[in-house]
Amino acid sequence: MNTYKKILGYALTLPLLFVVGSCGQGGGNGGALGSGNAERVYVAPGEHDEFYGFISGGFSGQLAVYGLPSGRLFKVIPVFSVDAEKAYGFSEETKPMLETSFGTIPWDDSHHPDLSQTNGEIDGRWCFINANNTPRIARISLSTFETEEIIELPNSAGNHSSSFVTENTEYIVAGTRFSVPIPQRDMPIDEYKGNFKGAISFIEVDQETGRFDLSFQVIMPGFDYDLAHPGRGASHGWMFFTTYNTEEANTLMEVNASQNDKDFIAAINWKKAEELIANGDFETMATEYAHNVYDESTQMATSTIKKEVRTLDASKYPGLVYLLPTPKSPHGCDVDPSGEYIIGSGKLSASLTAHSFTKMIDAIENEKFDGDAYGIPILNYDDIVAGVVQQAGLGPLHTEFDGRGNAYTTFFISSEVVKWKLETWEVLDRAPTYYSVGHLMIPGGNSRKPWGKYLVALNKITKDRYLPTGPELAQSAQLYDISGDKMQLLSDFPTVGEPHYAAGAPADLIKPNQVKLYKLEENNHPHAVKNEKDTRVERNGREVHIYMTTIRSHFAPDNIEGIKVGDKVYFHVTNLEQDYDVPHGISMIGANTSELLIMPGQTETFVWEPKKEGVWPFYCTDFCSALHQEMQGYVRVSARNSNVPLKWSLDGE
Amino acid sequence: MKKIVITIPFIALGLMILCACGPGSQAAEETAEVAETHPLGQASVSDDVSEKNILQVAIGSDAHSTLVAAVQAAQIEHVLVNAGPLTVFAPTNDAFAALPEGTVEDLLKPENKQTLATILTRHAAPGSFNVEGLKKEARKGRKIYMATGDYLEVIVDGEDITVGGAKVIATVQTSNGIINVVDKVILPN
Amino acid sequence: MKKSKIIMIVGAILLTSLFFLPMWNITLEAPQYPEPIGMNIYINKFQDANPNDIKNINIMNHYVGMKDIPEVIPEFTVFPYFVIGMAILGVLFGLIGNRKLYLVWFALMIAFGSVAMYDFYLWEYEYGHDLKDTAAIKFTDEKGEPMAYQPPLIGNKMILNFKAKSWPRLGAYLMFLGMGLSVFAFYKDKKEKNE
Repeated sequence: MNTYKKILGYALTLPLLFVVGSCGQGGGNGGALGSGNAERVYVAPGEHDEFYGFISGGFSGQLAVYGLPSGRLFKVIPVFSVDAEKAYGFSEETKPMLETSFGTIPWDDSHHPDLSQTNGEIDGRWCFINANNTPRIARISLSTFETEEIIELPNSAGNHSSSFVTENTEYIVAGTRFSVPIPQRDMPIDEYKGNFKGAISFIEVDQETGRFDLSFQVIMPGFDYDLAHPGRGASHGWMFFTTYNTEEANTLMEVNASQNDKDFIAAINWKKAEELIANGDFETMATEYAHNVYDESTQMATSTIKKEVRTLDASKYPGLVYLLPTPKSPHGCDVDPSGEYIIGSGKLSASLTAHSFTKMIDAIENEKFDGDAYGIPILNYDDIVAGVVQQAGLGPLHTEFDGRGNAYTTFFISSEVVKWKLETWEVLDRAPTYYSVGHLMIPGGNSRKPWGKYLVALNKITKDRYLPTGPELAQSAQLYDISGDKMQLLSDFPTVGEPHYAAGAPADLIKPNQVKLYKLEENNHPHAVKNEKDTRVERNGREVHIYMTTIRSHFAPDNIEGIKVGDKVYFHVTNLEQDYDVPHGISMIGANTSELLIMPGQTETFVWEPKKEGVWPFYCTDFCSALHQEMQGYVRVSARNSNVPLKWSLDGE
Repeated sequence: MKKIVITIPFIALGLMILCACGPGSQAAEETAEVAETHPLGQASVSDDVSEKNILQVAIGSDAHSTLVAAVQAAQIEHVLVNAGPLTVFAPTNDAFAALPEGTVEDLLKPENKQTLATILTRHAAPGSFNVEGLKKEARKGRKIYMATGDYLEVIVDGEDITVGGAKVIATVQTSNGIINVVDKVILPN
Repeated sequence: MKKSKIIMIVGAILLTSLFFLPMWNITLEAPQYPEPIGMNIYINKFQDANPNDIKNINIMNHYVGMKDIPEVIPEFTVFPYFVIGMAILGVLFGLIGNRKLYLVWFALMIAFGSVAMYDFYLWEYEYGHDLKDTAAIKFTDEKGEPMAYQPPLIGNKMILNFKAKSWPRLGAYLMFLGMGLSVFAFYKDKKEKNE
């Protein structure tokens, strides 16, 4: 017995010795790195970050993927802008992604990413993001990190209060910033008031494939619609939008749209809208919009122009929309994790307004209205307000939540993040930002289940935060630890383009679903060749199709003759590799397009129109292997009238 | 049993060491240090190339030394260097001097920092209002919305313009907005 | 039926597990392959340990002039007949119940097993030594001889920065167990006779 206890005693002390040991080591690191904060954002070589951060690229039109807490940039996903690095918008397969009813548009301004949800919790399936300029919504797969679908929104202009996801990803909701004539027509601008309308689009999402269908649009009064968030829990089925310019001004907006003491948060009952649609109570409007889908099986995008949209006029259907008066041109429209409080951030105000969903329903049921706007009932401010965070700062913009009853709001003018408590409405802490913060993001902070450990502030102005790079500077994001009572600034990191909103999720939710390569046997690209024996060159008039393969470390074929000046040569290149992280690239001298960057098992196509006789080389653009520099080939281009026969080979065979 | 008793002090020692290497206190100090490099936020940026902003213009004006001292006491410098556009109604030293005896001294005390900040913020409006802009507001019967949420009335009488009862005596264009020099401190009604 | 007979028959039937369980495995570990690549050897085929592993071994090995791992080797046509033959023979011996036959069966297994291992060694030798003259990369060993890339017959071996591991798999272990059971049946029978 004695021996047994002795062993037990040693066993108990052993773990403590380990703790002491590791402590010594940690202390050493701390000294070298100079501060505890450094350790908290340090992710050792080969280790993974705890969270993914999806940060909008703003005027770059793209979406950037970061690791948190390290702030390391992993990928810039091309969405609305061409990207020569990845051949997005240059390869024949991806060109249709950028089609619109206005033709091909190589750029847009991407603002607000949002992640798919199930039961109000982030589920790691898709990321959605809006194009602000030519209104579109994109869906990005979180297993391939590629843009899979883009849908254009008719009747919308300045697609700003987008793209927000309902609790079970039933809809992606997208509101227009500009009100415009609906349908568009030639009319005097100063007849705006009463004639211009705002369209709010509800895009249905197929739960299996993620495919979009523009289900209906609610046609609203001619205000500006700024941001939005869905109800959750009891308020599920409602969608809330901030509005400004309820003055319906059409010029010098900085003054004329700031006259009303209160604008509105518009509450749309989309369950009611579904009933109306089901009963056939809608109008079908002729219009035009593009719907672009990338098919992972054929590895090609197609663009279709749709001609109709179902509309619901908010003025005509009682019970569809209510207006909640909210002070001073509210920007952020944020719903707390319980779904009870709807927070409006009046961007010209010094206070925050929280409306109560329960009170709102009570006011609606008892018809406590304070007039109407174009037939839409306006609720009485005093009946619905749950609380006001007084004098919290200057210029509140946007609020997210930590799931512990606290809210965090950015203040642009006073350049700070303010932490306050739901229900007591008291300010708990404030932290400066460097400088002029716009949105903020807590992973899951706009869902039912926030992971309240980190907060990322997305600043609009950088000035002296980094080594200067001439007049144009990177935008700055800042990472705060919010796990304690006080927010702690841990680090700054630069971002791509201008980040507006961001979304975040634990890595464990996304990492296990990653596609490592495309299986060759599942490649249904019409121009794929799956082994070297089938590689060939075919001529069809002036069109030449090269069916080529790549594998370490050669192209097949790599010698091609019989091409003529004035031909249109299609390189259909299949990467035969079936090994993780072995892409091959290809580019041809003088081709008026970008390289291709082809993932294992994938087929991509570029077009080359040879203009001069000669022998012209092509090569692999991605350092693929030890003999990458040997991975090259030649195309012989002859005169138009020559009779050099079409011929191709690899190693003389 | 004896052996167990002997191990307990070891466990206790282990726990003490464990506590001693917790990051808590050290981290708090470090954060303070990080923030300290830019105590005034954007106002700490050194830049002698750009056009001067509202704060820099005010600092350079002898007639506004009281206002600058008040802004510094309230620690709201960063608000005046914000991208704006802002319109600041800037009371002169004489305007502050005209306040009842001891008012300014009282407000400059650290414990009144918040009150002072609110008073000063009531002198700032989001947007650009130069003389022409102010006249237009008056003509259209519109009030100016101040950063505190108050509305100030603009009255034009001949060449004289008053805002919230304070007369505009000069207007300076700056890089992030407009300074309208006024002869009175605008106090709440 | 006597326990010894049942044991002998079970031992012989265990041999048939070779039809659906791998007999051997060769795995290559290297820093550039965080997930090691490998192949399982069955009595009638080579199979990827993980999808595309054999293809990726071939791509890697072609730089040093090694030939592709063949899809079919002659042994694949012979081995299944041998295994099924030995299993039937073992069951027959069990039914006959003559314990000397159990030892005969064991001895046959040892003999055939040794031949099979020698054959496996020859194949590995060929695979590791018969390099194409056009190899892009030619390494030499300490003696200045062309480097060989032969995997170990059994055990672990470093080849450049790859650690090659060659070990039996469950099918082979079940076969060993079957062989053990035949010897066990021999002694059991002896004991049963004495009782």
